[in-house]
Amino acid sequence: MTFETTQQPRQRLLYIHARTPSVYSSILGLTQIEPIPGHKVALSAEDQNWPYETVHDALVDGWQVVQFPHHQAPFDDHDLDVVGYEFILQKIEIVS
Amino acid sequence: MKTSINEPTLLSDVDVARFIVNGYHITKPEYEKGLNELIAKQLDDLCENPGDAIIEAIPELRQVLEDCIVRGVLISLLGKDYEVNPHRHWHCRTNGTGSMSWHQDSTNTRSTELSCLLALYYPRTVTADMGPTIIVPGTQFRNAPTDRMVTYTNIRGQVPLVVKAGTVAFTHYDIWHGTAANNSGSDRHMIKFLFNRRSTNSSPTWSHDPEMLTKPKDWNARSGEDVNNILSFSNPLNVSQSDHYKEQRIRQECWNHLMGTNAVGGKQTT
Repeated sequence: MTFETTQQPRQRLLYIHARTPSVYSSILGLTQIEPIPGHKVALSAEDQNWPYETVHDALVDGWQVVQFPHHQAPFDDHDLDVVGYEFILQKIEIVS
Repeated sequence: MKTSINEPTLLSDVDVARFIVNGYHITKPEYEKGLNELIAKQLDDLCENPGDAIIEAIPELRQVLEDCIVRGVLISLLGKDYEVNPHRHWHCRTNGTGSMSWHQDSTNTRSTELSCLLALYYPRTVTADMGPTIIVPGTQFRNAPTDRMVTYTNIRGQVPLVVKAGTVAFTHYDIWHGTAANNSGSDRHMIKFLFNRRSTNSSPTWSHDPEMLTKPKDWNARSGEDVNNILSFSNPLNVSQSDHYKEQRIRQECWNHLMGTNAVGGKQTT
């Protein structure tokens, strides 16, 4: 498989775990997936310098939401499960 | 405060409350001179991982388990008759090892009782580029299988265990944890020990001050050194109001178990 660096638009993904289901709430976690061969994400002991403070910031920057958080609680209302609410966003663009 | 060589150094009410909230407690025991270096050197020289037999391979590790600060934490959180689980493991992150994503060991216990602890012993100082363990405070009561964590990378509020040689970090068994990559040029050693509760508390097993519980919540000093404030107001990940209310209830249940108020004949304190 060859990787065309200039011609083919590709899907960039952004997983944002927000404090609430609102796009205006603050971000608790952020993972950016680049459509580049060998790309990986990694935990880091360094301070995080994220490009956005909210999902809305990402929308302003051209990201589009492809999946909103699921609100159906799999457990009763006394139970805790994952951290925050997961938004999945994309940008279709040429990645160099 | 150490009172004698052999007497365990028990936790305070505030220490216990903070453990319930955050799911970890970091200690720096004072071993005999040269112990950490001796253990680290022997780990460097091991040809294969001995698994549960790591203590037989390096008997000096018993001194870590017998330390008065280590025993004090275990008595405080698991009771005087705590069990040293036969499972233990040497986690060596060699130079060039990539990061390990978030996970919980085994399956979630889904309980507000404190029945199992991990103790992570680092014989050599761990720097940020050495593949430190990273934990996420407050996740120990979340019923989230490891598969549900794979779309997370870094989380605001995560704590890298960048620690001095000899540190023992105690964590709740269910806390979310992973490791950063090791690009340091050195190997990072960690020995994981496991401990279990044998019996339900009928009274506190730490250095408990009954007066501590008579103070009302102080809405103007939420971060104060007070058990009720810590259990009520701490929010290490800044989670939503709904989650925070649930956390408050779970923390109080855990505290009641440790106080012995849920045991037969126990005295209710809330």
